[in-house]
Amino acid sequence: MDDLKNIFSLFDTEYITEYKTSWLKVKLSFSSNLLDVAQMLQKNGLRTISTISPTDFIDENKIEMNYFFEDLVTKRNCWLKCDIPRELKHCKIESLSNLFKGALWHEREAYSMFGVKFLNHPDLRPIILSQDYYNKFPFRKDFDWQEHEKNSVENMNLIVESFQEEEHLSENKLDPNSSEMILNWGPTHPASGPIRLKVHCDGEDILGIDPDIGFVWRALEHLVTQKDFVGAIVAVERLCFMDNINSMVCYAQAVEEIAEIEITEFAKWMRVLLGEVGRISSHMMGMGGFYNAMGLHTVAMWNMDMRELFLDFLESYSGARIATASVEAGGVRYGLAPEMLEELQKALDKFDATKEDIKNIFINNPTMKMRAAKLGILTQDEVQEYALCGVVARASGVKTDIRIDEPYAAYDQIELEYVTQKGGSAKDRLFQLFEEIEQSVSIIKQAKKHIEQKIEEGEFNPTKDYMVKMPKKLPKGEAIARVEWARGEVLMHLVTQEKAKSPYRLKMKAPSFNHTMMVEHLLKGETLSDIPLVFGSLYICQGDLDR
Amino acid sequence: MILEILKKVLRVSRALFVKSPAQEDVRFTKMHTSSRYRGKHSIDYETCIGCDSCNKICPTGAITMKHLPFKKQNIVPEVNLSICIFCGLCEDVCPTKPHKSIVLSGGRYDMISGGWHKDQEDFWVHVDIPQSYIDARLEEEEAARVKKELAAKKKAAEAAAAKAQEGEES
Repeated sequence: MDDLKNIFSLFDTEYITEYKTSWLKVKLSFSSNLLDVAQMLQKNGLRTISTISPTDFIDENKIEMNYFFEDLVTKRNCWLKCDIPRELKHCKIESLSNLFKGALWHEREAYSMFGVKFLNHPDLRPIILSQDYYNKFPFRKDFDWQEHEKNSVENMNLIVESFQEEEHLSENKLDPNSSEMILNWGPTHPASGPIRLKVHCDGEDILGIDPDIGFVWRALEHLVTQKDFVGAIVAVERLCFMDNINSMVCYAQAVEEIAEIEITEFAKWMRVLLGEVGRISSHMMGMGGFYNAMGLHTVAMWNMDMRELFLDFLESYSGARIATASVEAGGVRYGLAPEMLEELQKALDKFDATKEDIKNIFINNPTMKMRAAKLGILTQDEVQEYALCGVVARASGVKTDIRIDEPYAAYDQIELEYVTQKGGSAKDRLFQLFEEIEQSVSIIKQAKKHIEQKIEEGEFNPTKDYMVKMPKKLPKGEAIARVEWARGEVLMHLVTQEKAKSPYRLKMKAPSFNHTMMVEHLLKGETLSDIPLVFGSLYICQGDLDR
Repeated sequence: MILEILKKVLRVSRALFVKSPAQEDVRFTKMHTSSRYRGKHSIDYETCIGCDSCNKICPTGAITMKHLPFKKQNIVPEVNLSICIFCGLCEDVCPTKPHKSIVLSGGRYDMISGGWHKDQEDFWVHVDIPQSYIDARLEEEEAARVKKELAAKKKAAEAAAAKAQEGEES
């Protein structure tokens, strides 16, 4: 940390404070220093930009930029802030994309949503938004959503026209005598989900891929600001249904930090238990997705069969299988009954009984290994450069796991080690998924045992302890919270105003955004038939890609 | 090596004795149920105090408050199920005790099954209040009003009498 502080002594800063265990929070006086600071941070080992989050302070007529620098090796992080003017003409800042490739899309997102112009950005096109929102910057506080909705027919026509125009352009650009073409992979391809990859190909060789995302953009970050702190959980959990619990845990932590409230020990353990169940249900879908892309649906079926029992537990606990809405700021929403743990035990038994079969048939599958072992290889350097996280990062051998690096809930009391692979290929990512399911099962067993023991000893009261009272109004403040979500690190940056009843700004950094950035990098020079496999192995969910 | 092969043969041959899940006729097995299952709402208009909390917390705006011809407790929630996301927050905030006035846990899952629907009205949880209840409540209110008025009159008369007495005395 001290060497980081030394860097900032060279520049004008408003404050330098240590934040949490591993963060240094710094506000620069002048945004013009940003590039120099970033360069020095990079030399110091902070090679990753997790995300970029502008906050629009309309009353103070400024936009505050937040940069989250991370070092995946030494676990030192830096939260860098600076102000820039709000008027569109002067709303400019130096781009960091040339130093940190992971910032490429995040800067495009900040540009599309807030109109922050990044100077010297190699490719500053709008992203996520549909054409009718271009140059309107919807996340600015003065954007009128209702006014925009009124012209829905014109908006729709505009989207169609732009699509046709784009098709013409891409055909005109290509040489008619060559075999080059632009192929739309998705949004209705069986393996794609709602995403469109514009594949520029020559025959079956891929020359380039430009992902078109935003098909399921719900403006969740804006939606949250329209609800109160409790109602916001239903927007936050829709980050992705497959693991909805950990995203709510992340949001709840941010709110609790601003409210300065400590939750009960029982609630912490419940968050671990529920979170791991969510992770398992997501990873099982992920494994199924990987094999579906290869054309074998048996794994998905087997996994679904097991997953049902885990969902049964979630249903018994919260009353819903998928959209559980079960974690609130202040604890968890419901108490626990002993028969629910019995149901969970059934699911664990089923997994233990099926585990060996899955391992023998699908994980050690020679055909799969032949197909996937040399495809989509990501090196450790690329992981750091592009800010990859979670399963994808660990499959390349990078030891990163928020549960260990910055323990939250009750993870500090749980025996847990980094699970990593070496190769970084598509095959390794499948192996990683399976080993992480095994790890999650062991965590669930530990948590279950602990909870049962404490209930027996009378230290936990499962019908009363689950929730502490939260104040209705929160003070002015801001917080960041990170959790290890099923797909990787989720970072939420929450800003509240004085006597706030609803969040002023919530930035959700979701892992699929960075992972989709890698599609072009991994597939350039490969053939068309590799697209589903590599795409499937990256474990992308459009829910958190578009938000 | 031989041991490995034997193990594999054993593992595979197990399938001969275990009934495959595909053979199971799930039509006759009971589905998983939960007492907390968040399904169709039931609204108790008699205990509802009309505090509007459920309407305020609803994240999707699925709840509208129906006006009743009373002076107090004159609103009661109605839910549009085609907007509702069944998060259950309305039940959480409902302040009535011991039973909540708006309840969806333990509700039915088959709210939108059972034939074709032609009307959006089918996806509403309406509160049907019998006329007799309305009349009884109105009567009650009327009685309370009359009682209050009488009491006020009596008080006024007493005050007037007291004043008159005072005047006489002076």
